[in-house]
Amino acid sequence: MKLLRITTLVPLAGGALLAGCGAPEAEPVIEPQAQGVELPPIQVAEGDGLPASLPADLVWETNDEDPEFASPDAVRGGTFRTYMLSFPLTLRTVGPDSNGAFAGYLRYNRFSPVSFHPNTRRPIPSLATHWAFGADGRSIYFKLNPDARWSDGVPVTADDYVFGVQFMRSKEIVAPWYNNYYTERIRDLKRYDDHTIGIQGASPRPPDEMLYEYAPGPQPRHFHVLNDNWVADYNWKIEPNTGPYQIGKVEKGKYIELVRKDDWWANDLPYWRGRFNPQKVRIRVIRDMNIAYQHFLKGELDTFGLVLPQFWHEKAIGEGFEDGYIAKYWFYNDLPVPSAGMFLNSEDPLLASRDIRYGLAHAMNFDRVINTVLRGDYERMPTFQLGFGDYDNRDIEARPFDLDRAGEYFDAAGFDTRDAAGIRVDGEGRRLSFRVTYGQPHHSERLVILQEDARKAGVELELQLLDSASSFKQIQEKKHQIGWMAWSSQGLSPRYWEHFHSDNAGVTQTNNITNHADPAMDELIMAFRNSVDRQERIALAQRLEQMVHDSGVVIPTFQVPYTREGAWRWVKLPSGLGTRTTGTLFNSQANSAGIFSAGGLFWIDEAEKERTLQAKDDGVTLGPVTVVNADHRASSG
Amino acid sequence: MALAVNPLTAKQWRRFKSIKRGYYSALGLAAALVLSLAAELLVNSRALVVSYQGELHFPTYGAFLPGTTFGLDYAYETNYRELKRTFTEQGNGDWVLLPLVPYNALENDLREGVYPPYAPSWSSGHYLGTDSTGRDVLARLVYGFRIAFGFAFILLAVNYVVGVALGCAMGFWGGAFDLLFQRLIEIWNNVPFLYVIMIVASIVVPNFWTLMAVMAIFGWMQMTWYMRTATYKEKAREYVLAARALGASSPRMIASHILPNAIALIVTFMPFSVAGGITALTALDYLGFGLPPPTPSWGELLAQGTNHLEAPWIVTSVVVAIVLVLLMVAYVGEAIREAFDPKKFSYYE
Repeated sequence: MKLLRITTLVPLAGGALLAGCGAPEAEPVIEPQAQGVELPPIQVAEGDGLPASLPADLVWETNDEDPEFASPDAVRGGTFRTYMLSFPLTLRTVGPDSNGAFAGYLRYNRFSPVSFHPNTRRPIPSLATHWAFGADGRSIYFKLNPDARWSDGVPVTADDYVFGVQFMRSKEIVAPWYNNYYTERIRDLKRYDDHTIGIQGASPRPPDEMLYEYAPGPQPRHFHVLNDNWVADYNWKIEPNTGPYQIGKVEKGKYIELVRKDDWWANDLPYWRGRFNPQKVRIRVIRDMNIAYQHFLKGELDTFGLVLPQFWHEKAIGEGFEDGYIAKYWFYNDLPVPSAGMFLNSEDPLLASRDIRYGLAHAMNFDRVINTVLRGDYERMPTFQLGFGDYDNRDIEARPFDLDRAGEYFDAAGFDTRDAAGIRVDGEGRRLSFRVTYGQPHHSERLVILQEDARKAGVELELQLLDSASSFKQIQEKKHQIGWMAWSSQGLSPRYWEHFHSDNAGVTQTNNITNHADPAMDELIMAFRNSVDRQERIALAQRLEQMVHDSGVVIPTFQVPYTREGAWRWVKLPSGLGTRTTGTLFNSQANSAGIFSAGGLFWIDEAEKERTLQAKDDGVTLGPVTVVNADHRASSG
Repeated sequence: MALAVNPLTAKQWRRFKSIKRGYYSALGLAAALVLSLAAELLVNSRALVVSYQGELHFPTYGAFLPGTTFGLDYAYETNYRELKRTFTEQGNGDWVLLPLVPYNALENDLREGVYPPYAPSWSSGHYLGTDSTGRDVLARLVYGFRIAFGFAFILLAVNYVVGVALGCAMGFWGGAFDLLFQRLIEIWNNVPFLYVIMIVASIVVPNFWTLMAVMAIFGWMQMTWYMRTATYKEKAREYVLAARALGASSPRMIASHILPNAIALIVTFMPFSVAGGITALTALDYLGFGLPPPTPSWGELLAQGTNHLEAPWIVTSVVVAIVLVLLMVAYVGEAIREAFDPKKFSYYE
């Protein structure tokens, strides 16, 4: 049959990969090359621009009063062994193919002027020691740390920041998104002296949000020669960085080894000392998660993510775990939660009725899904956006599965009789039948349970599984009835304009996928957007969240407010395991999720490693270790 | 049909019957097909008969009966398994007769605190266990079988009608017509079918008929080659020449002279085409490009089974079912080929 052709594809793909591995070693030395293009000075548009000299009335701020979060017991040394599913296509951090899984290791070793405290969510010094805000509400000034060094020993100066903007605006890097961001959002960057810069953004923002939105990092000016061949020339060059690790060894197709800088400039600074402890981080390519897991069980990888119920409950049991060689950690965090939900298109004739939207919410039996296929591990998402600290509206509760109330709402909407299949119909013969568009095949098992229970309420759900790109496209073009998806969420405060403002309703390619349009809400959204006062913004966010709930256009689905990981006994964690915003416990780099500097807290205990391996050889059990930490559990669930 | 009295056909039938494993496989398959057509009476969550307050209800076919019909407090479809328990407890003469397997292929039979897939159990009525969302594996096998066979048969009919017609025309007329279609088919043959399916599946949700259409569009070519050759061969025979001399028209020559003599070829290929159709649908479902959830399908079961190897009953059931059916189809095919072979014995030197 024709289907047999797929078998011929596999060796072909394998062959291509092998061919890729045969390429010559990466060359870490900067070699002389053709002359680069002359970069124009930073162009400033009409109406923009920073003052020519540093304003005298700036109030310089810093943060040295928040508690440190690294463990004083941490020791440096050892090799941390982890894996990635594929070898990166390039070691560049911008340009084509630079967005793979390995990019995180590169990016988190390129520091920004400020970082964010993982517990207090307040800014902390990073490449800059002090910061100040301009009177126009959209500019920031930084005093740079004069000790900061690139990995090749060259000092990081204001010129690297100027070059950074020129670089990101240049066509040679083939990165349209960055080109656009650094032109549209970053309007000006000025050097005042070697270690003082100013940055102007496009529009006023609250101060703490400006600190990451309008705070571009430096680029090593002495390293890059920009010309038409830049993308190809710099594919495998190792760029100097400012973080704790630099690439040491690259074996193409097999592994990449990061080496800790012994004399890293931030070694003894508060918030940075005691972190990034392994001397080496070796990231092996293992192309399949299940095979990687077998390596982990054999002790060839130090840690493994166990968030998936199947791994935690069914695979992470038995020998290594019962004997205590491998510890299991279940750590609740308090991070911006992805906004997972059923997004009801309010332009649909049926879904335009609020009664029907409410009825639908009461007809969805999420608890049953959680208690069966999700093994009780997930939690119900109570509202649309969550995990932004004080901004959260924790008073909102999701509408529960309740056939009586669903029935009342449907009756009120005129759907009070049932047809032969048991689906509700109204006087005009319209059926309560909805298409659910989704893009994740493994979510089918969740949806079929909702589908079965919705029938009891007289609602038919038609499941439309597309591939994830087409599913998102259909939803963005507002051709869906019910979109089943999740928005990733990041940053310091929730977002409403893109999801609910009427400017984005009824037009394609916007994130208002419910087509919700409410003048009262628009007013609050604009107030929220324009306010720079934190308390006011918090109050507005809570009211907006309530309005989202009242509109019923989103039926929130699930959240996973924790990380679960397994680690060999010799990988040690601080006493509280992690921080409030720790996304991954065994994350060797500075950030694990979003903007908070929560990573690099663990260390490797070589003596313990010897003991554990000895015990394993001798068949001595050490007692199982399963640690559950709910210190930072935010939800009531 | 006229074929039945044809002595040659009678001989072929005797020959077919004498090949035991082919004959019994044919009987087995036929029985399975007939039973699957009546699957609603054997494997279903709706009761066969309910006697409530002296009145008989037959819920199997037709509109759903809300729980209120039997004095229950809900307006959605009655749960007949529960109803049976209730009636037994009340003991006032009402009774429920459930089918052999009291589950349908779509309902999730979930229990609090225990996570699916559930192992096979006689007492719960899940004779082959459940899948990862608590749906009965046997029910999904039976309904999946019906869908797969329906699909394979319709696909076969479409492919053969087109393939035979075009192949005959190519062989009969030959020349430029033949040449043109040969090239067209060669080009068409090189369109990667699987990619087309993947593209289609990413844009629209494939349903039974769109899948059928795509498979038919890429499936008719094979038969044209065989029919073309057969027609070329038969066309040169004297009986065709005689028919032509008697003034028979082209359609008549093809339909009543050439085609009956090429029938052996078509019939021999049929079982293998059915097997091909079933495997193709199963493979597509397995890869996720087939029928949309929650349609019961063997491919989907197979995919679940391989993801849940800790629940061996899923993968075992579906693999055994696939192997059995394909084996029986192959035996039938072998027997047919044998029966149509003009030489009873082959001598090899």
